[in-house]
Amino acid sequence: MTKELAEFSIAYLQKKGADYVEARAEQTDQNTFILKNGNLEVGGFESFSGIGIRFLIKNTLGFVSTNDMTKAKLKSLLNSALKTTIKAGPITENVELAQEKVHKKRYKVQQKIALPDVDTKEKIAMLFDTEKALQNTGATLPGRFISLSDSLTTEYLVTSEGTRIEATVPKEGYYYILTLREGTRRSQHFWSYGASGGWEQALKWDMENTLSNEAKLLQKNLKYGIKPPKQNIDLICAPQVAGIMVHESGGHPYEADRIFGREAAQAGESFIDESMIGYQIGSEVVNIVDDPTIPGSYGFYLYDNEGVKARRKNLVVNGKINEFLHNRETAAKMGLPSNGSSRATDYDKESIVRMSNTFILPGRMSEDELIGGVKKGIYMKSFTEWNIDDKRIHQKYVGAESYLIENGKITKPVLSPALEISSFELWKKIDAVAKNFELHAGSCGKGEPMQAVPVFFGGPSIRIRGVRLR
Amino acid sequence: MKEALASYILRKLKKGGADDIVVSMTESTNNQIKFSNNKISTTKTWEALSLSVLIAMKKKLVTTTIKDFSTKAADKTVARLLELVKNTEENKGYMGIATGPFRYKKIDGLYDRNVGKLKESAVDIVDGCINQALKEKAQRTAGLLEVTGTENYLLTSGGVEAGAKATALYFSIRALAEKDASGHQTLVGRTLQRFKPERAAKKAAEYAVNARNPKKCNPGKFDCVFDHIPAANMLMHVGESASIFNVEAALSFLEGKKGKEVASDKVTIHDDATKKDGLASSIYDAEGVPTKKNVLIQGGVLKTYLHNTSTAKRYNTKTTANAGLIAPEPTNIVLKKGNKSVDEMIKEVRKGFFITNTWYTRFQSYQTGDFSTIPRDAIFYIENGRIKHPVKEIRVTENMLNLLHNINGVGNDQQQVYGWEVGIPVFTSPILVKNVRVTTSTT
Repeated sequence: MTKELAEFSIAYLQKKGADYVEARAEQTDQNTFILKNGNLEVGGFESFSGIGIRFLIKNTLGFVSTNDMTKAKLKSLLNSALKTTIKAGPITENVELAQEKVHKKRYKVQQKIALPDVDTKEKIAMLFDTEKALQNTGATLPGRFISLSDSLTTEYLVTSEGTRIEATVPKEGYYYILTLREGTRRSQHFWSYGASGGWEQALKWDMENTLSNEAKLLQKNLKYGIKPPKQNIDLICAPQVAGIMVHESGGHPYEADRIFGREAAQAGESFIDESMIGYQIGSEVVNIVDDPTIPGSYGFYLYDNEGVKARRKNLVVNGKINEFLHNRETAAKMGLPSNGSSRATDYDKESIVRMSNTFILPGRMSEDELIGGVKKGIYMKSFTEWNIDDKRIHQKYVGAESYLIENGKITKPVLSPALEISSFELWKKIDAVAKNFELHAGSCGKGEPMQAVPVFFGGPSIRIRGVRLR
Repeated sequence: MKEALASYILRKLKKGGADDIVVSMTESTNNQIKFSNNKISTTKTWEALSLSVLIAMKKKLVTTTIKDFSTKAADKTVARLLELVKNTEENKGYMGIATGPFRYKKIDGLYDRNVGKLKESAVDIVDGCINQALKEKAQRTAGLLEVTGTENYLLTSGGVEAGAKATALYFSIRALAEKDASGHQTLVGRTLQRFKPERAAKKAAEYAVNARNPKKCNPGKFDCVFDHIPAANMLMHVGESASIFNVEAALSFLEGKKGKEVASDKVTIHDDATKKDGLASSIYDAEGVPTKKNVLIQGGVLKTYLHNTSTAKRYNTKTTANAGLIAPEPTNIVLKKGNKSVDEMIKEVRKGFFITNTWYTRFQSYQTGDFSTIPRDAIFYIENGRIKHPVKEIRVTENMLNLLHNINGVGNDQQQVYGWEVGIPVFTSPILVKNVRVTTSTT
């Protein structure tokens, strides 16, 4: 029925004079379990199907969605939306879409262990096993919040140009907040794991050991941590920290809808403008990409929500701004083809320009070599509080597990070092990137209503020369 | 139709052995017009059916939300719930749901049939607001107008049967004057009668124009006047921290503080789901208990945490009617009005800032309350009681309890704030906070 409704919407709106129509029908099944301080608070599932339709009529965009899957309902909604969209015409942005190839494709992310075959008890056991492992660490953990979720989504995209894409993507997500105490000192650490694929992906995380090791190290950090040095020092950021930096300061500013001001009242704008292609934003060792095609990634897709084939986007090449993230609307504004960056979280949201898996490309040095080249510095392995302004210039990262580097060696734990730095400084001060490489899962917010899309961010360890920490 | 389906689900779940059952069904319609660069970017219309069910069986809790009101979907959902509950584990802290039936007191102004009639005429409202801002010398505007209608039906095994209709209006506008000069305002309400978005457009533009040519400044401790939006941005965390769920999870800076001073004596905060025009106002909570006005902080002292029936039983107290079935949730957070105008508060500042918006508030620890937030849009430096010049590129790096203790003045102009950064409706006036730590990029 959903496919039939998608096709019906296309035909109906074309008859009504729409120049372009895309319909996205979705079916999602999701399970979630929450463990708080060793108590299973709740288990639950969600199941829904719905359809979202975007159309262009006389260069004006309109969007409709419903989960009341009847033709009568859909007709009535489309008629109502058409009236508003046509009325908006005289004061609307003159929207054009870049010309794109028509694709007909069906793809499915393979599951070695299919999610529907995994027993509920096994999922719950994963949470309790982690809890038990945390209890055995000896760390003082007054707060332990863990959630585990999995989802299976099938999307069917059809456009008036002939594109037909059917995609089935299973995903898993694991989120936790650990609260630690050591005497009067307290700290908190939040992190997520996520992947696309079957249950085998969740098993790879080995959460029992991963979390208990982390708890032990954070406790040690809290117990023995000293204040960070006040003078100018070097900073080595491990992949988790480099990852959030690249997401916030090396990914978001490259979203073309921000650059054109479409998100000004929501997620903000950008310090980058159209004329800055070729601008040297970083040192020559900095190369930043966004790539949705990585198998197993949290931000995985092969065709975006406008049916454009996904590809790796080289945002920064040898320190120079090279490319923005585009959908068909922003690409047309710059006279380019889209690079397949249009995503929506669910059928009931318009697809907008988004990141997928954003990371710094690795270099040739080992992480030890990076550390070896530091006389006095900090090694920031993970972080807690962070933020960045709405133009993506001034940002802050506070270290969670962090260490002092003295004469090329890691010596003692450091407590909550905080870096506040501008994007214009950050990328230029990187003098080396290592060859180690990690990708981490996160949820990226944009749009209104808020759309939190799953993404990866990461890269290698990076060395930032001459910064002042608090 | 909703009534019959909810009753059918309830009967089937009872027969299946569920001890407690809550069935909530909601139909909603949203119309949104998004604009940027003084033009409409897109129009959106979305409707949704949502069916949520919670069941408890031998203290095991499972929930679901599906978006289908058919009997077939109901049968499948019931079967899945009963299967899932068998395979899950006991929630040791679960103590049951409310026992009704209850009588509900009408709250005025939560539904306006004229809101649903707006339809395409919302385009004219947006056009008028863009023009208003341009008239005030803004160069660019961006934002949205959203109109919502909802209808809920609630049926529980505790004898509750309740229903409510509601409407809501939300307007957000950011006006931009020159590079680094902008102003942002939001407006929310439930009825058209008091909804005047042109005023918000005018104020956003005024802020933008006055914020032209901002200067950088040095970090330090400053007295700050926080306008409505940034005050709400911080105060909503009081509501979140007051949920007993967050207290238990070590995610609250109010943990262990009941009966203790958590703010200056100028601070009285209510959680009030009965507030007229409140975006989170409702005659009943998620388990059907009639809502009420709860004192969270009275004269600086924390009076209560927020409870549902289950958590209240565990703490030998009464529910505050803040269900959330798993986690009690804040409704409308209301800071009691003070008696000062913004100008009077600015006059009291020897060296400080007037901050009109903040964004990207992030906690280092929800338990300690250490956080930072980034002032954005119009920020003004104040010296000896007078605004000297606009400012840019500062960050407030603070602790929530310090901040609450340092509130030295509460304004007399209360507004409801809700928006992209303020996810819980907050009724607040501007506030004057002493000794606020302001930091800047170090490199």
